[in-house]
Amino acid sequence: MRLSRRGLLRAGLAGTAATALGGLASGCAVPTGSTGRNMVLWYWSGGLSDTVVKKAKARYGGSVDLDAIQIGGYYRSKLITTLAGRAHIPDIAGLRGEDMASYLPNADQFVDLRTLGAEKLKDRYLDWKWQQAVAPDGSLIGLPIDVGPVVHYYQPAVYERGGLPHEAADVSRELDTWEKFFAAGERLKKRLPGTYILTDVVSVFEMSIGQGTTRFVDEDRHFIGDGPHVRACWDRAVEAKRRGIVSDIVAGTPDSISATEKGTLPSQLNASWAAGDLKLAYPKTKGRWRVADCPGGPSNVGGSFLAITKACREPERAFEIISWMLDARNQAQGFVDAGLFPSTPASYGMPKLREPDPFFGGQITMDVFGPAAEKIPVAFNSPYDIALGQPIRDEIKNVGVLGKDPAKAWEDAMGKCRRIAKHLGVTF
Amino acid sequence: MVVAEQTPPAVDRPRPATAPPRTGWRKHWHLYAAISPFYLLFLAFGLIPVGFSLYLSLHRWDGLGSMEWAGLTQYQYLFTDTDFWQSIGTTLIIWALATFPMIFLAMVTAVMLNSAVRFKNAYRFAYFLPNVTSVVAVAIVFGSVFSTNFGLVNALLQAVGLDQVAWLNTPWGIKVAIATLMTWQWTGYNAIIFLAGLQTIPGDLYEAARIDGAGPVQTFFRITLPLLRPTLLFVLVVSTVTGLQSFSEPQVLLQTTANESTFSGGPDHAGRTMVLYFFQQTFDNNDFGYGAAVAWGIFLVVVLFSIINWRLVQRRGEQ
Repeated sequence: MRLSRRGLLRAGLAGTAATALGGLASGCAVPTGSTGRNMVLWYWSGGLSDTVVKKAKARYGGSVDLDAIQIGGYYRSKLITTLAGRAHIPDIAGLRGEDMASYLPNADQFVDLRTLGAEKLKDRYLDWKWQQAVAPDGSLIGLPIDVGPVVHYYQPAVYERGGLPHEAADVSRELDTWEKFFAAGERLKKRLPGTYILTDVVSVFEMSIGQGTTRFVDEDRHFIGDGPHVRACWDRAVEAKRRGIVSDIVAGTPDSISATEKGTLPSQLNASWAAGDLKLAYPKTKGRWRVADCPGGPSNVGGSFLAITKACREPERAFEIISWMLDARNQAQGFVDAGLFPSTPASYGMPKLREPDPFFGGQITMDVFGPAAEKIPVAFNSPYDIALGQPIRDEIKNVGVLGKDPAKAWEDAMGKCRRIAKHLGVTF
Repeated sequence: MVVAEQTPPAVDRPRPATAPPRTGWRKHWHLYAAISPFYLLFLAFGLIPVGFSLYLSLHRWDGLGSMEWAGLTQYQYLFTDTDFWQSIGTTLIIWALATFPMIFLAMVTAVMLNSAVRFKNAYRFAYFLPNVTSVVAVAIVFGSVFSTNFGLVNALLQAVGLDQVAWLNTPWGIKVAIATLMTWQWTGYNAIIFLAGLQTIPGDLYEAARIDGAGPVQTFFRITLPLLRPTLLFVLVVSTVTGLQSFSEPQVLLQTTANESTFSGGPDHAGRTMVLYFFQQTFDNNDFGYGAAVAWGIFLVVVLFSIINWRLVQRRGEQ
């Protein structure tokens, strides 16, 4: 039997039309936000301390049923899909630090926490972190959960064999600039062939950008990625490549695991939360690590916020909950449970956080993390920053991995930025 | 009668006798009602989103705020966007590197399975297994396999006296690694489909060929292959559609450090396929309008290549 396509289509359309009327006409009311006692909190695995979440449920259980849900997968796209769909919106939502720039222009989706008395709590938190949640119109869309101060993780035994300073205080003092750090890398390579102080050039570029007060796009939607500050970071990364102190091992492969365990990749410039990754990935290296200050000064990677959405029917109560969950004592708990580095300086002196860490040879790591967290520079983070920083990152990667000519790479990056800026309506 | 939850069938109540005589769909409403659930679901979760993405591609939208009308500017940009063109090239190279070896291997496997072997079902199961394995898990394993110093592939190369290749650090190496992963994943699946095709070929044809004195090679090219053409066509089109939409393989294989975008596709964007590029534009850059335009660009490319494939295989058959 032959089915004619036209007949099939006709049948399909007729069937669809006939049933669509019944199926779609029933406009149903979908709940948005809380209803009565129920209050929903969205976060991601490891985004909050489980202990604190449990305690919050118990503490406020008399008046609300706090339903904390861990959302898996690509968190931000799920959250904005829900916000755009205007249905089943959580009352309280975690916002990831790297996504803040994209939430700020849409501050109207969230309750301005200043209206709930957030200003009273301003002194609790690191000022630069607080500023990251301030929208262009001055409203405050979230309270800080944690921060990610960048430090220099290293293996002292390898540094000692390479003739470098190896006590944490000495490393912090003697390798305090990029220049000294690069020189140390050269010495290490000469003394111990096959040992590299840097895992990749992109991290040099990235950390250098984070140490400054300007990024790729300014408040007036103008591209500044071609400015001297970015160029200096670029040149520094190129310099590291030129001096041959960068490993060509791909991160996350057995090669990098083996090299890290053997000590041929003895150091990492990374955020506080990477300590947890080190412990997970290299349990055998327990006791063989220390932390010191990042060369060139402190910078930050990541760190999240808790916000109250406009759909929340009881913002006062929600604010009470989040301001309790994110007080200094609970943030300290977050560090103990999930390696979330507190955004509340009052936590840094608490005994819980000043315990010697056996993974770092009994070092009190807070002595390095704490001061770094307090000194991080404030930089404006534009919603166009990711799109316009990416070509430059990609090209520095090509210089580092493929040995592309730096001048050509810079030219290509700028050409691409110009095109993207035009497309996004950013002046160049 | 309730067809599905929340979608009561919209049916005309039986009319009083004064109604005009029923024609066309009215006479067969119950048949249409019976097939309506699929169409309803397709409308709600297929057609409307597709239509919306077309609407979206004519706007600028960051996913949350208000949409701005952009007309055809997104498409204008798409046609001049060298990154997009590069991603088409990347996708096609990976697709070719993956598909042709895969079809060859699947055919060989199927012919071997089709001849009298014991434990046929065990083999079928084993060959099908890669297809149901999680891509993410597979990509992690392949990341190890293609590792420079401790990877299996380089160990084999060195065993036969060749040099190491930095697979995941060179543009071609990345493409080969992704293609190998895809080949490994789909060979078994397609072998099973070929096997089904082989089993529809009547045995007396082979007997006749044997009596006429045809050798195994001749038999394969003169009988098996021509009669397998419909199956081959199916496999080619499906492989084209899936291969041109590869996304998870490069994404997971090239996952780098936390402070780098996972959607760049490695050095020189060597592994940035079309869908990966779409993902980067949409979810990294929050450029939903442009992302939708890229998605339609991908759609056109896939349709174009499916048609080319179709024609090629058809033409071969007519000769």
